[in-house]
Amino acid sequence: MATSLSPSATKPTEPPAPSPAAPVRRMSTSRRREARYFYLFISPWIVGFLAFMLGPMIASVYYSLTDWDTFTPPTFVGIDNYVRLFTDDPIFWKALGNTFYYAAISVPLGLVLGLWLAHLLNKQVRARKLFRTLIYLPTLVPLVATAMIFQMVLAPDGPLNGLLGWFGIDGPAWLLDPDWVKPALIVLSAWGAGGATVLLLATMKGIPNEFYEAAEIDGAGSARQFWSITFPQVTPIIFFNLIMGLIGAFQIFSQVYILTSGGPNNASQMVVPLLFNEAFSYYRMGYASAISWVLFVIILLFTLVAFRTSRRWVFYETEMR
Amino acid sequence: MGIMDTDFSRRGFLASTLVAAAGVITLTACGSDSGGGGGDGKLVMTVWGGEVDKAAYQARIDALVEANPEMSVTLQLILSDSYAQKVQTMIAGGSGPDIMQVAENVNVYSSKNQLLPLDEHITTAGLDLDARFGPVGSVYSYEDAVYAIPDRSGAAILYYNKGLFESAGISAPTADWTWDDMLSAAQELTVPGERWGYAGAGWWPLWWSFAHQNGGAIIDEAGRPTADSDAVVEALQYCGDLVFKHKVVPSTIDYANMGTDMGGDPAFAAGLVAMNTTGFWNVGSLAEQDSVEWDIAPMWRGKEQAVATFGSGLAISRTAKDPALAFKAIDFLTSDKAQPLVISMKQDVPANVEVQQSDAFLSPSWMTDPVNMQAFPESSSFAFKSTFIPQWNEMQQAFTDGLADFWLGKQEAAPALATIQERLESIIPTA
Repeated sequence: MATSLSPSATKPTEPPAPSPAAPVRRMSTSRRREARYFYLFISPWIVGFLAFMLGPMIASVYYSLTDWDTFTPPTFVGIDNYVRLFTDDPIFWKALGNTFYYAAISVPLGLVLGLWLAHLLNKQVRARKLFRTLIYLPTLVPLVATAMIFQMVLAPDGPLNGLLGWFGIDGPAWLLDPDWVKPALIVLSAWGAGGATVLLLATMKGIPNEFYEAAEIDGAGSARQFWSITFPQVTPIIFFNLIMGLIGAFQIFSQVYILTSGGPNNASQMVVPLLFNEAFSYYRMGYASAISWVLFVIILLFTLVAFRTSRRWVFYETEMR
Repeated sequence: MGIMDTDFSRRGFLASTLVAAAGVITLTACGSDSGGGGGDGKLVMTVWGGEVDKAAYQARIDALVEANPEMSVTLQLILSDSYAQKVQTMIAGGSGPDIMQVAENVNVYSSKNQLLPLDEHITTAGLDLDARFGPVGSVYSYEDAVYAIPDRSGAAILYYNKGLFESAGISAPTADWTWDDMLSAAQELTVPGERWGYAGAGWWPLWWSFAHQNGGAIIDEAGRPTADSDAVVEALQYCGDLVFKHKVVPSTIDYANMGTDMGGDPAFAAGLVAMNTTGFWNVGSLAEQDSVEWDIAPMWRGKEQAVATFGSGLAISRTAKDPALAFKAIDFLTSDKAQPLVISMKQDVPANVEVQQSDAFLSPSWMTDPVNMQAFPESSSFAFKSTFIPQWNEMQQAFTDGLADFWLGKQEAAPALATIQERLESIIPTA
């Protein structure tokens, strides 16, 4: 969910597609054609990346080693920015901690919610199309509008606390309470689970019915059918959502910027809003560049870990194991 | 899909991609220069604000160009939220504006060599800042140089709900009201859970006003922070007590329950608070409605009189191609020829004192019911001057962070300000 507001320099490159471990041999005609299509379809991104992103990214590596206020020429300071970041900036550590907390809860929650909703929609229920539309609708609402609505929903005497009151729970002042502001942002992130749901549902619809029929004859119950057939079949999509979700969660910006500005007292400060402030409020572009590269490395590491572990649980039909 | 039938090599494809990309890079390298022209009378002026501001600035520019046909001025109005970033990007890209609106952030730019010192131009033009602008004439000076000419300047004033005051039998507030007078009025006007006596002083210009009324200062003359002095602590505690002890001011939580982006201004217009202290900007909208009967008065006083001013000035960017021409434009825009438009277009209080004391300001043609506009010139005699330090934005963030718990009623003023003072000392380098 990179917005036009978020500095593009922090956007990591797309992860490379996992290479099928096919034995090296001469490509067949269909393979060649497939490769050509691949290049055709990825070319807009390649052109865009080479023209607009690569230069600024390389430049920001240099700027992260300088003291630069964007107005006067940068002065080279070596790794001073990085040293200060890790040793002398408590707010950075707080923001990093907050971002980890947010990513660690919102990403799995989004995956579980998406899977659960897709599984429900895959059943033969009435008004399925209506439910599908309703679940996907929230993802079409611009984030700014969503944030505005949530400001009302999360008001201390708002509808959410009213709902909790029905169960005898005295709800917190969500966005104004240092302990509850991050959970509030996580609740807001669950709002977008519909996007994953639609992808998962499409995959579920594509699973051949014969599998289920065979399993039923063998006496498998619905839970067993879900875990042995449905889940393995949709793992590639879950994996895709996991990677995109991780990248998105680490880059959370708009919600924080609109709802809390990082408050109260940095309880909801995240890495990207922090670097935005450093760059555009305090005019420390060099320092902000250093933050963005630290974030880049963190996202890259998590993405790599996800890829490493994916072999154990992601099932591709084309790969014979 | 004819392209797919031709069998071209991967290398050829990549090469053509690179050529295409390189073409894009060369195209973007020849950036368009939207900056000032070179001595051809063209000027670019950046301001922030909304529709009202756009119309008001444009009207003044039209007057300027009519009087000086050799000039052509392009107005660039940028939304307040993104003004700083846009101007920063323009300057960094080598196409900064000729004339730019600045406010408390003036020395963020001047300390980084982005604004031209105007003293020579002032002398050449024979402009007497004190005569034209009164006490705010030198507000944009930094290290013995003037970096901007005041353009708009109105003190914070007290808006009060006249209907509620009359029905409660409270006499109209004056500049001689004390903290206690204000508190007792607020207590009488408060209906628990329904209406509050006062909108509060959570915004920095307001509680800073009370700190100055108490004989304190946030930043001293030398630019050093003094946020934890007894005078400041006492004043801030007074503001906090209004919320949590006397309960005559809505808390952050009360405001959140009123709706999205609620604060003193909309709450006053909705009749939810009986008194609100803020700048000129609500006069225009309040004059257009009938549901709240209102008037304005100068800010009350503490041990002494003091009040914050909301203003902005016009500066000349270092990238200006023709500084003399830009100054000529600023001179005209802040003169009595153009400044009446600031008030007739319902925009703001003109910084020009002569205009501030003229009938054009004191009884504008668009004002249907009489409003005590005299409150503005009266307040300017006791307006306090902030030291606009280059680290202004970091300082504001330190206050926002450090007072979060205080404004939620979870912390007293003294420990909060002690923490902030510590942070300010690390932010503001010793001279």
